[in-house]
Amino acid sequence: MNKLKTLLLVIPVMIMVVSCGEDFTILAPQSERNVENFYRTDTDFLTAINGAYAGLASNNAYGRNYVLLHEMRSDNTSNGGGATGLAESLERITLFEELPSAGELERTWATAYSTIARTNTILDRIGNAELDNAALGERIRGEALFIRSLMYYNLAITFGNIPLQLEEVTSPEVEITQVSAGDVYAQIAGDLSTAEGLLAASYSGDNIGRATKGAAATLLGLVELTAGNKAQAATALQRVVDSNQYNLVPNYSDIWGVSNENNVESIFEIQYKSGGAGTGSGFTEYYSPDLSESGGVGGGNVPQAVNDETLTIFEGDDERGMGGSFGLTEADAEYLSKYDANQPNPFDSDANFIVFRYSDVLLMLAEAVGESAQGWGLINQVRQRAGLTVDAQTLPGTYNEILLLERRREFVGENKRWPDLKRFGVAQSVMADFLADEGKSESDIRLLYPIPQRELDSAPGRLNQNPL
Amino acid sequence: MKTVTLIRVIPVLVVLMAVSSIAPAQGFTQKQTAESTMPEMATYYSVKEYSKSIQELRNTISLNLENVPITNALIQIAQKAELEIAFDSKSFNEDDLISIENNAISVGDALELVLIDTGFESVITLRGEILLKEKQPESVEVADLDIDISGRVTDAETNEPIMGVTVFVVGTQTGTNTDSDGRFTLTIPDDSETLAFSFIGYVRQEITIGDQTEFDIQLATDIALLDDVVVVGYGVQRRTEVTGAVSSIRAEAIQGTPVSSFENALQGRLAGVNVAESTGEPGSAPQITIRGVGSISAGNEPLYVIDGVPISQNSNLQQNVGSQNSNFSATLVNPLATLNPNDIESIEVLKDASAAAIYGSRGSNGVILITTKRGRRESAPMINFRSYVGVNSAFNTPELMNAEELIAYTKDSRNNTYLRQQDPTNPNSAFFNPQYNPDTNAGREASGATGNHLIPEAYVNWDGTDTDWLDLVLDTSILQNYDMNVSGGGENFTYFVGGGFMDQTGIIDGSAFNRYSLNTNLTADISERFQVGLGLNAAFTTHDRKSANAPYFGNPPGIIYSALTQSPVVSPFNADGTYRQLEGSHNDLGGATTTTNHPLAVRDFIDERVNNNRVFGNIFGTYQLMDNLQFKSLLGYDIDNYQRSFYQGTQFFYRGGAPRPYAESSSAQGFNWLWENTMNYQTTLGEDHRLNAIVGFTAQKQNDERNRVIAQNFPDDQVKTVNGGQITGGDQLIEEWSLVSYLARINYVFKDRYLLTGTIRSDRSSRFGPNNQTGVFPSGSLGWLMTNESFMQDQTIFNEIKPRVSYGVTGNFLIPNYGSIGLISSSNYVFSDQLVSAAVPSTLGNAALTWETTHQFNIGLDYAMLEDRIYGSFDYYVSKTTDLLLEVNIPAVTGFTRALTNIGEVENSGFEIQVTSRNMVGEFQWSTDFNFSTNKNEVLALGPEGDAILVPGAAGVRHITEIGSPIGSYYGHRVIGIFNTQEEINNAPVDRLGTPTPGDFQFEDVNGDGVIDNNDRTLIGDYHPDYAWGITNRFNYKNVDFSFFFQGVEGRDVLNLTSRHLRNGEANFSSYAIVNNRWRSPSDPGNGIDPKAERASGGNNNRPSSYQVEDGSYIKLKTISLGYTLPQQLISNFARNVRLYATVTNVAIWTDYIGFNPEVNLSQSSGLTPGEDYGAYPLSRAFQVGIDISF
Repeated sequence: MNKLKTLLLVIPVMIMVVSCGEDFTILAPQSERNVENFYRTDTDFLTAINGAYAGLASNNAYGRNYVLLHEMRSDNTSNGGGATGLAESLERITLFEELPSAGELERTWATAYSTIARTNTILDRIGNAELDNAALGERIRGEALFIRSLMYYNLAITFGNIPLQLEEVTSPEVEITQVSAGDVYAQIAGDLSTAEGLLAASYSGDNIGRATKGAAATLLGLVELTAGNKAQAATALQRVVDSNQYNLVPNYSDIWGVSNENNVESIFEIQYKSGGAGTGSGFTEYYSPDLSESGGVGGGNVPQAVNDETLTIFEGDDERGMGGSFGLTEADAEYLSKYDANQPNPFDSDANFIVFRYSDVLLMLAEAVGESAQGWGLINQVRQRAGLTVDAQTLPGTYNEILLLERRREFVGENKRWPDLKRFGVAQSVMADFLADEGKSESDIRLLYPIPQRELDSAPGRLNQNPL
Repeated sequence: MKTVTLIRVIPVLVVLMAVSSIAPAQGFTQKQTAESTMPEMATYYSVKEYSKSIQELRNTISLNLENVPITNALIQIAQKAELEIAFDSKSFNEDDLISIENNAISVGDALELVLIDTGFESVITLRGEILLKEKQPESVEVADLDIDISGRVTDAETNEPIMGVTVFVVGTQTGTNTDSDGRFTLTIPDDSETLAFSFIGYVRQEITIGDQTEFDIQLATDIALLDDVVVVGYGVQRRTEVTGAVSSIRAEAIQGTPVSSFENALQGRLAGVNVAESTGEPGSAPQITIRGVGSISAGNEPLYVIDGVPISQNSNLQQNVGSQNSNFSATLVNPLATLNPNDIESIEVLKDASAAAIYGSRGSNGVILITTKRGRRESAPMINFRSYVGVNSAFNTPELMNAEELIAYTKDSRNNTYLRQQDPTNPNSAFFNPQYNPDTNAGREASGATGNHLIPEAYVNWDGTDTDWLDLVLDTSILQNYDMNVSGGGENFTYFVGGGFMDQTGIIDGSAFNRYSLNTNLTADISERFQVGLGLNAAFTTHDRKSANAPYFGNPPGIIYSALTQSPVVSPFNADGTYRQLEGSHNDLGGATTTTNHPLAVRDFIDERVNNNRVFGNIFGTYQLMDNLQFKSLLGYDIDNYQRSFYQGTQFFYRGGAPRPYAESSSAQGFNWLWENTMNYQTTLGEDHRLNAIVGFTAQKQNDERNRVIAQNFPDDQVKTVNGGQITGGDQLIEEWSLVSYLARINYVFKDRYLLTGTIRSDRSSRFGPNNQTGVFPSGSLGWLMTNESFMQDQTIFNEIKPRVSYGVTGNFLIPNYGSIGLISSSNYVFSDQLVSAAVPSTLGNAALTWETTHQFNIGLDYAMLEDRIYGSFDYYVSKTTDLLLEVNIPAVTGFTRALTNIGEVENSGFEIQVTSRNMVGEFQWSTDFNFSTNKNEVLALGPEGDAILVPGAAGVRHITEIGSPIGSYYGHRVIGIFNTQEEINNAPVDRLGTPTPGDFQFEDVNGDGVIDNNDRTLIGDYHPDYAWGITNRFNYKNVDFSFFFQGVEGRDVLNLTSRHLRNGEANFSSYAIVNNRWRSPSDPGNGIDPKAERASGGNNNRPSSYQVEDGSYIKLKTISLGYTLPQQLISNFARNVRLYATVTNVAIWTDYIGFNPEVNLSQSSGLTPGEDYGAYPLSRAFQVGIDISF
């Protein structure tokens, strides 16, 4: 009897102790990958770099917020005024009154750095991984460097002095050091040169849309221009021209539309696809005045009307005006039609966003080489495609004024206007004129956005706020 | 031959009975066995008085004695009861024969019966020995003997005679007991005034004697009396010996209120247990917090333990509609609504750390122990049937403007903006227009008026339409419930089988809750020492949900908020009877009115159904290894299944836009198993020491799996399942957690006066970082039964005084399953127009992550006085939670914006008072239950730098959690008045956030720097009540019972976000009627609270401010109930007992809150943003009639 008692007691306890050893409480996620066991194979790194591209496409980057920060900020668009509620914080951006606590700034900053973190992790870990396809690994490094540089460029032109984080972070305790925009440009110029060497000249099959050598060189040119290094910019941009990979599309209007995506003029394009998978673009919503037919809300909280003045900047036969950049709504109202596309749900459109295209290279090269026969020639090359026959050199204004106006016509709605105004050094004068009715003077025009309050608060004493 | 009828056993706290009877008695009969030498001072209990409270005496035995000598009968009883017995056999005459035939008689009753005609009575010692004692001669005061009285005492409910009722003349020693037929005779002095009838488990009754000599007394069972034993974790304990803070509620108390789930019945009943009904959606969960909110980001819900099995809430298994903003997700269907309240026997709430520490890392938020009903041994089958039906209608509907008021308000708002911005009346203005007419748009557009200045045409030329939109969406609805159970037992088995069906429709047409439930509890004795048991609770519930917990712009939108925002000026229907969603609707008004949604379209074209199957229960075996050592092994299981489908149809025009049909189908299953092995040891050392110890080892694991498919682009509504459209998305998630624990507890009683309990548990959980997986949770408590001290014997006021004190440590493990691991989530990107998979790191791991630890100190007092006429408890507690799990903001440079860390401290402290008072006894009975509790919540430490946490809720940042204030306090500007004149504005600090004009708010310059800016935001209230209370009054007169129940909270504020639209002065929607009392001019300043009407206020009146924070204190007449028990003679043919009753729930509310429900709480899952009202399903008033029958 005593034996039985002992057995009755001991057996269950034994079974339990055995079955509930240390491993019993070591459980790894099953339907989510985790940092410990990822970043090992070719496929891991490929999906990881795809994740970095997804960061570029985010609504907090090219998908939406850059429209607010780099286009809506400029004189290309006007706000209806009297905004209330959610639209108010957008109106503040147009009036250079945005608050450091604005959600748009917070999310733009955070998404840029999380995309950068994705590339940092790839760059840190790819060296130690034994990949089956070494060439693929090199390309992924190039893509990571390109994406990181593109994000840093956007952060630098938006916020100016920012932390430069180039390594993976594994603990919340991180040292933060703010550096100047110039330091950022220097770093990414170097990274882009490396990337250019690693990237493919072009892609086919399933890879169309990845960063190319041309994309890296174009961004390098832009970065050097922004940093004031025109000679280096010219060299980089000339490499793009000389690569013979790109050309102007004969008709300006053929650049646009879902059927014309990734055309010969396109150098780097953020790829979007609607359908509720989180891969649609948000900017169609911002420009199309009546999306109710395609399922969007339309108008809503978004005061993103291209203003009347912008419609008047085009010379007579300029194909970039009506029919090129603009269309008419059913109510005969003009609107920016570059991003017309199928949109089954709000902020979920098929339209791609072109970050760089060949005419940008030509005009940046014209900017880099300065007033010269080559410069005028480059400007005229872009004008001729637009159906303009008048030689730019005969137009009133200085070389830079003509070039800037040409860029405005060419790139309306492409998030270039505000960086252009800054790069050409006329941001404050132009915007003060534009906002004279609102009582703004040059001193009211902020060249940099405030650093998000959230960042100042979460790293006390580590970041200096921009002038408000 | 004597046949004994079993008295209905009502477990009772016995020490509350006459304390004097505990005094050592003289006159033992000679001892028969040598070892049972009882010292003179032995403590023993009278069997007669304690037969209902001592387990050994309550145990039932089967007796079949026919004409046996008393000596033999006693020995047989002792053998069957497994008790020692000691007596002198010579005390009894061999010829005195006795017959008892009863197969389920309690030991106590058997002893009573055998000795009834002898000169002895029996007592039981602490060791479980039966001794005999000579009966005390009844006090006889010959001189005064005057009157002979007699009578019979029966149970008011069952009409059965009650044996052993003490009948005595109040204020004298004269008394007797009733016999087995309930009869008594007594000779009393002629000056006797009052006769008292007292019996354990029944309400004491006093009768004025007068000229009466024959008494027919019906005693009512006293359901308010305390249990003699209470369920504590891993066992039961005598209530007198409990040293922690434990509140109990018995089945009768919760079944008096017809509710869909037991938690609703707890509201206002127990001190320190706060139940908030934030939504009236059928089958949704109320929120329960015990002793305040101790956690910021981990869960605050208590641990539920049903029949020994800790049950997970599994709220992660219920998925939300993917298109919905997470702030507006539907309220959870109640995971515990699968448990039929009528299957519950008792509920115990373990409030302090001493009681809860046995649940270790899950005890911080308190523990709710639920015991379901089971059969009784050796009892005939008992059948109970309960049913009620009811009608519900909306409760506390807010007052809105009618069409005329809204028209005036809208014109006011447009005109004020027009006059301020472009002043058409000023000849010097560029917009000067003599045509300006405040009632029309004449010439306005020509004079530069924009949308904000135009009066909607429908308001200028009102066609008389005055739609009551709330009335359109709020209907009356039906509730019905049927329960039946059968229970009983034999010599070595018990059974209980209960089934129920509940069908409740909601006051929003189309919403409903259905439950089919089955509860079974079986036990069987395999041998004398080996018992097995099985418990099974299975239920199938369906929840038809209608979107209500969202504002008009939610996706799907909230029906209630959509109805609130619709202008009464527009008609809901087109000429053909269809819903007006486009032309002529609110969306078509113009004048910069905001688009909203047609509430009936939301109701009818959007469907959601959640089915929940849940099966849980246990299988256990106990083995008596030695007489005082028991081993128990228990296997618990819980299978929880959800099936959810959502469909938004093609006829729904979201805010006047194009239809966007959308469907989701999701399913989830949770499986939880528990294996628990415990060893229980009880012993008595000498006379003074009693010890009860338990040690155990448990393992538990939960596996969850869920998946979802999303479809869009439905061409029509013919097929509403996902295959009717195009599948556009889907996901699947598998998660697990596991827990391994060791536990031990010791209860020690010294001299029946000094009580000590110590517990310890160690938990190892998968949820925490590999560096920090194991936690140890000790607790200790002491109690002193003062009334057992000799110096207390002479007082007669108190039956019980028991001071107690406890201290202990508990944990909170309600954090994400993989919070310690850096996760990589899936994403998508596009190359060559094809989706490609992408991986993105989604969380930053933290290998050091561990539980939140709560240290709680509790000091309390249990008391009972005036022969139990008043009893209750006081408690004071301080609990401090450290290592608060906090999603802290981290610099985005890390790649992440938030990381889960153990930082921060919160303190909760409060008083609790619980009083039950039997104010009147006798034929007319009146008793009162009262409870009152306070709680103060204060954050003591936060984050590495102690920075306040500002968290955006449903409408931007309006909550702050900062050191020195309650968790999730409201944050914004404080309105200090309304500017009456421009001069006042000029003299006030400059408002950087607006340009106020007369009629706009003046905000406080909190930091005194002379300007109003974001730095002047401050604390403007919080959701946590300062105190909560409940009071129930019950009355009984003959067959009629009546009760009413008030309940309330004080010091709670509500963040009424609906004020952002319905009370904002902009008049772009309908509006609360209170805005009729707005500021109009310096000479007509209105109520001083509501500012002027302005479509585009320059003063930015709508900024987050105290204007949107309202007092949510309330007093609610929660229940009135009237019952009638049919007289026995009417029903004796077919039933044991029949009670008919009518109940009204949510009778009336007194509150200053202008919305529907001051308990509203939009984001129930977030402790950081409590108390928001952005539209919610209203509570309903219910009229119910019901019948309870037992056979």
